[in-house]
Amino acid sequence: MKWLCWGVTIVSISLAVAAEKTGDAANGKRLFMTVGCYQCHGTTGAGGGIAGPRLAPDPLPFVGVKAKLRTASGRMPVFSEAVLKDAEIADIYAYLQSIPAGKSARDIELLSH
Amino acid sequence: MGKDTEPSATGRRKFLKAATLAGTGAIAAGAAAVGEAVAADAAAAPAAKKSPLQITSRDSEQSAPPPNLEGATHTTCGSDFMVDVMRNLGIEYVAAIPGNTFKGLHESIINYGMMTAPMLEHISCMHEEISVAISHGYAKIAGKPMACMMHSTVGLQHGSMAIYNAWADRVPVFAIVGAQMDAAKRRSYVDWQHSVFDGPALVRDFTKFDDTPISLSHFAESANRAYKFSMTPPYGPIVLAVDQNLQEDPIEKGAVANVLKHVQSSPPRGDDAAVQEVARLLVAAEHPVIVADRAARTPQGLALMVELAEALQAPVIDMYGRMNFPWRHPLNQTRSQADKIGEADVILGLELTDFWGVTNGRLAPGAKRISITAGDLYLKANYQDFERFTPVDIAIAADAETTLPYLIEAVRRATTSGRRSVFKARGAKLAQDHQAALAQSREAAAVGWDAQPITTARMCAEIYEQIRHEDWALCNGTVFQNNWPQQLWTATQHHQYIGDSGAYGLGYLPGATVGAALAHRKHGRLAVAIGGDGDLMFTPGALWTAAHHKIPLLYVVHNNRAYHQEVMYVQMMANKRNRGIDRAHMGNAITDPNVDFSKLANGMGVFAEGAVTDPKDLAPALKRAIAVVKRGEPALVDVISQGR
Repeated sequence: MKWLCWGVTIVSISLAVAAEKTGDAANGKRLFMTVGCYQCHGTTGAGGGIAGPRLAPDPLPFVGVKAKLRTASGRMPVFSEAVLKDAEIADIYAYLQSIPAGKSARDIELLSH
Repeated sequence: MGKDTEPSATGRRKFLKAATLAGTGAIAAGAAAVGEAVAADAAAAPAAKKSPLQITSRDSEQSAPPPNLEGATHTTCGSDFMVDVMRNLGIEYVAAIPGNTFKGLHESIINYGMMTAPMLEHISCMHEEISVAISHGYAKIAGKPMACMMHSTVGLQHGSMAIYNAWADRVPVFAIVGAQMDAAKRRSYVDWQHSVFDGPALVRDFTKFDDTPISLSHFAESANRAYKFSMTPPYGPIVLAVDQNLQEDPIEKGAVANVLKHVQSSPPRGDDAAVQEVARLLVAAEHPVIVADRAARTPQGLALMVELAEALQAPVIDMYGRMNFPWRHPLNQTRSQADKIGEADVILGLELTDFWGVTNGRLAPGAKRISITAGDLYLKANYQDFERFTPVDIAIAADAETTLPYLIEAVRRATTSGRRSVFKARGAKLAQDHQAALAQSREAAAVGWDAQPITTARMCAEIYEQIRHEDWALCNGTVFQNNWPQQLWTATQHHQYIGDSGAYGLGYLPGATVGAALAHRKHGRLAVAIGGDGDLMFTPGALWTAAHHKIPLLYVVHNNRAYHQEVMYVQMMANKRNRGIDRAHMGNAITDPNVDFSKLANGMGVFAEGAVTDPKDLAPALKRAIAVVKRGEPALVDVISQGR
């Protein structure tokens, strides 16, 4: 039974990694803007304080993002399979991954004093 | 109108007349100057003609103590007397849109109050909600109320939301509502629609006092009582319904009504024994935390907050209800609120309304909660802005600011040299934490730095860059901008921040910022507001008031083109029902067409820049706008921004 659980977990992670790799970033960006993610997380995933945490750059692992979407609580809406397919989550994740790190605060004069 | 004429009425009448003609200098000297003022009467007599010079001297008068007009008056009509009563209370401004139930008072203000010293100036408004909000914002900077007038029934109904904001924010507002009590004197069907037997009942649940005086003496007493209660912590708005005939009827020849001497109650301080116990707990604690909401009522309150925190080297969590603590002070640990509350063994809440919200789910086992709040002294039941009940270990029903000197003294007495060493080490660690939080905030602000729409972090950083060398004052709460000003800016003075609306009632900010800017004007400060597009759409007419009265104010529109917070809630509903959130913008978005706030502002005589969409264009736009503000006028910059 223990080995079976590990097996399921490994398969799940493998599928998750596969989804993460096959996501379409362009479609993910479109979805990010149309299903409302940007409203609270900003168009670049920069976050919106108490409204929504930062998502990018360097997003959390795909399984974590997906789990959050499927089981959200508090201010975050729940995204069931009926309203957002696994493949669409993969696309959104690909978009988050594609967002470049951008400047560091050290390189921005206004943030240096 | 009083029947109890005092023997000294003649002398006082002369004094009042002399004071009126001779200006505030003689008035401010108070009773001791009576002789001089009376002597000056003859000399001043030729100047009895109303002099505009007296109006232009207003700014220099504002720093003078409240006028001393008490005594008998023989003005010609009831509303002139009411003007004297109000200015004797130190009221300097009255905000209003016209309404025929207070036309007598309106006329007295513009032709008597504004033409004689000390001036009571009329501020023209476009909506009663704005009139009240102006009074709300003004009081938080001036430290005293101004008045606003509203038409009976319809006017008070318009203004009621703003009164609720002032109530929840514990701010004094001196509201007057016109009334036509005599049915036989109502001239038309409209007068009947604008008549109500008990007008203030509408707002009684969220005002500290109201009355409907039926004589001038009654008005004087009620005005003094109302002012006194509004300015006794917890502060709050009051309403006087003033009968139209009482305003308009001439004062009978020989009759005297008395402008009463006003003495403000000293605010209540905490019981000695309880304060000693609080000090003992704080000094003995390993992880004390001070949480302040509307604690610093005055600049002195801010200084006392620093003194207490430094005496204990304790972290301060600022709930941003007021300018409670310098934003870059090493003991300011607001960004680490959850961690600091979670490890606390003693939590001191100062004028903390939502103690439950601060500690729920975070309280360490055995941690003690202490509350010092004037909120425990005064409560009404119907509107539930008092938040969830929180069991505490010590509850002191008193004004926190007034109690602080005694608490600081008790803390110092209880602190041994051993504890002092512990405090020092704690302070050093907290200073490191503050620097780490600041670095974290700066890195977070850098994310999406060049994004369009412009991030709220970039917008706030660009604003600060343009104002940081000025004597600036931020006139808005910052929750919708992620508190970026508190995260990135340096603020050290009480006037640099005034908190939010109180009840989260939209429409507050445009009026409140104009009121705050009005109070800042005489100090030459650069008043700045960052406000949402939705809020501005409620009460845009406030911009006209700023233009009309030449009130300098930089108004930056955080234009996210939505009632943004509500989008999230509709999204939540839609997904809960598995319907998807692609239509959640409906009813929430402010698009199609996009609002052109520059045109809106221009249309009311306000200089405007924008809409700014590229962050690189923000600095030049702000520079141009600030140049206008420095000339003494309002200016608006419309910034197309991220949601938060």
